[in-house]
Amino acid sequence: MQSNMLAMILAGGRGSRLKDLTNKVAKPAVAYGGKYRIVDFPLSNCANSGIDVVGVLTQYESVQLNSYVALGGRWGLDSKDSGVFVLPPREKADANLDVYRGTADAISQNIDFIDKYAPEYLLILSGDHIYKMDYSEMLKFHQEKNADATIAVIGVPIKEASRFGIMNTDEDGHIVEFEEKPAHPKSNLASMGIYIFNWKVLRKTLLADMKNPDSSHDFGKDIIPIMLGENRTLVAYQFKGYWKDVGTIDSLWEANMDLLTDEQELNLADTSWRIYTEDASTPPQYFGPDAEVHRAYITQGCSVEGEVRSSVLFTGAKVGKGAKVIDSVLMNDVVVEDGAVVTRALVADGVKIGKGAVVGSADSENILLVAKRVKGVE
Amino acid sequence: MASAFGIVSPTLPGINVRGMQNYRSLGAFSFLGRYRLIDFPVSNMSNSGIDRVQVYVSTRRPRSLTEHLGSGRFYNINSKKGKLQILFSGSGALNDAYKTDIAAYLDNLSVIKRVSQEYVIIAPNNMIYTQDFGAFLNKHIESGADISLLYHKVDDAKNAYAACEVLKLNKQKGVENIDTNKGDKDSQNIFMNTYVMKKDLLVDLILKGRELSKMYTLAQTVNVMLEELDVRGIQHKGFFAAVTDLESYYKANLSLLEPGKADELFHDDWTIYTRTTDACPTQYYDDAKVQESFVANGGHIDGTIINSIIGRGCTVGKGAVVKNCVVSAYAEIGEGAYLENQIVDKWARVIHKNRIVAEEGNVGYIGRDDVL
Repeated sequence: MQSNMLAMILAGGRGSRLKDLTNKVAKPAVAYGGKYRIVDFPLSNCANSGIDVVGVLTQYESVQLNSYVALGGRWGLDSKDSGVFVLPPREKADANLDVYRGTADAISQNIDFIDKYAPEYLLILSGDHIYKMDYSEMLKFHQEKNADATIAVIGVPIKEASRFGIMNTDEDGHIVEFEEKPAHPKSNLASMGIYIFNWKVLRKTLLADMKNPDSSHDFGKDIIPIMLGENRTLVAYQFKGYWKDVGTIDSLWEANMDLLTDEQELNLADTSWRIYTEDASTPPQYFGPDAEVHRAYITQGCSVEGEVRSSVLFTGAKVGKGAKVIDSVLMNDVVVEDGAVVTRALVADGVKIGKGAVVGSADSENILLVAKRVKGVE
Repeated sequence: MASAFGIVSPTLPGINVRGMQNYRSLGAFSFLGRYRLIDFPVSNMSNSGIDRVQVYVSTRRPRSLTEHLGSGRFYNINSKKGKLQILFSGSGALNDAYKTDIAAYLDNLSVIKRVSQEYVIIAPNNMIYTQDFGAFLNKHIESGADISLLYHKVDDAKNAYAACEVLKLNKQKGVENIDTNKGDKDSQNIFMNTYVMKKDLLVDLILKGRELSKMYTLAQTVNVMLEELDVRGIQHKGFFAAVTDLESYYKANLSLLEPGKADELFHDDWTIYTRTTDACPTQYYDDAKVQESFVANGGHIDGTIINSIIGRGCTVGKGAVVKNCVVSAYAEIGEGAYLENQIVDKWARVIHKNRIVAEEGNVGYIGRDDVL
């Protein structure tokens, strides 16, 4: 390990508000942005930040996610002394087979793994968020502030602040209080679920927390308050840029629509900070003689013979002759057959919309999730 | 298919693609916006279970091809048992006409001799097709022939396949003659420069060829040996294109836009591998109009693209028109430019609202890094 910081990605959550999309896969494995999966973002950020060793803590429906992240070469994390390690809960000599009981417990149960690398710093990440961030900058900040823990925060509109974990800081950026989803937020600095800890300090705190029967073993609810109570130095690192927690169908759709703007804030085209992903072996995208495309984000393997407007098409999606796809997201290998119309919908992997079928509507309040085959209209 | 190894043969003398070849060897030519020509023979071999592949590379401008092939890991060649070897040749040749495939094999004869597989499949780097070499080998073994040659039946040989060879076959598919395509008739069996034979026979032929003439190619040597050897043709079906000059390169790309053609080349169970660049999807803006075209990832499109191939990471500005063009990666077609019947090489920038039109049948070429 060249860097003195090891990263652990919390990727065990189901993301149940994503409904049928996470029936078979964990939320970090959900597809996004044409060719990516959500977990590509923290993994690529690690690779680009010079972090060599990344542990991925999986739990819910982890088979697909495990096999996906295990090939560390996708993110360039396959040189000697580096790697991506899948860490599901497992039976141990001195403990019964158990699940991860909380975010902190997931780390506690892997202390041996972390100790093997003896890092000075531990970076804790969530596998659920879409953003680009240089963690080496955050580490620099952490070192400059002589902090025991640094928590990345992002300014959110104050009226939405009660949906987040809010950090209250003094004028020097020291965290004085953490409030989980406060009814009356005192600040608009939301925790991004990104922490850098001095490993020795965190290790001690985790060992104590494991023995506490009243703890929920959660970073926000337990570990951070304990450290504040011990008068440790906790600082907030303010992140500026695109960051999205895609917790619902609407927000996942929105995050995809964000890619259609003239000045794409996430800037996926930036070659100096690439987001790496699985390599799809398909021909390039094809447009038929009558194709129409206006404001779209389309990837390889797609075939467009009809009309695509303000939509994002994932690998292998097909739009038949006379079909219309408007304000929608077609995930991998979706087929919209001839004459079908899809409006304000998110169509899940592999779903077929039959000939002439009409799904979704322009004035719907919520985005329609289409997770099952829609029969054609004869 | 453990009983055969693969050879991707070097570019033969006489093949000259104006402009493009100044920058890279033929196998490294971009194809359909995302592939390089070499991806087809190497993927065919990999998919056929051949995990020992030798690629012959000329020492003249080898960079892009060797960089692209790398260790071969993108081609799904077994990373432990398998091997993709890049073998160099051509340095010190006094005359370009001496740079034959036989000369390249002679330069590396000890490497060929050391291979343990009994059979060898040889495929060229300038022909685009998919073929199961396992089936090809089986047919060859069943026939009892010494050498089998893959050919494609065409009915437009008068005006195409200029630097290709043609096979004259008897009723039993025995090869009676291998000759250059003189363009005297349309109906021909184009030799796909693809062979199967025993490795030991190849070694004999290499030595024999050198004895006959320093300018002889393997095909010419086999032609001389037709009396002594049982050489048969095996017909290939599906998409086939040969890149021998600028026009054929252009046509090979655009022909895949004809209805049904792409399905003849790409099959779900026969992946064509290539090196990933991790480019993001392509972004289309309000004024984009794209019809009858293939577009690779990483592009920014706000203009009109008709009947064209657009490589990775290209920009087509507002009001720009790209018609009947083959555009290589990272080219920029600026606002208001108009291009018709052009090949645009990598990194070229057409930014001064130029109107560049070539007549049909005489495709234009815009050089790499050129700014217009």
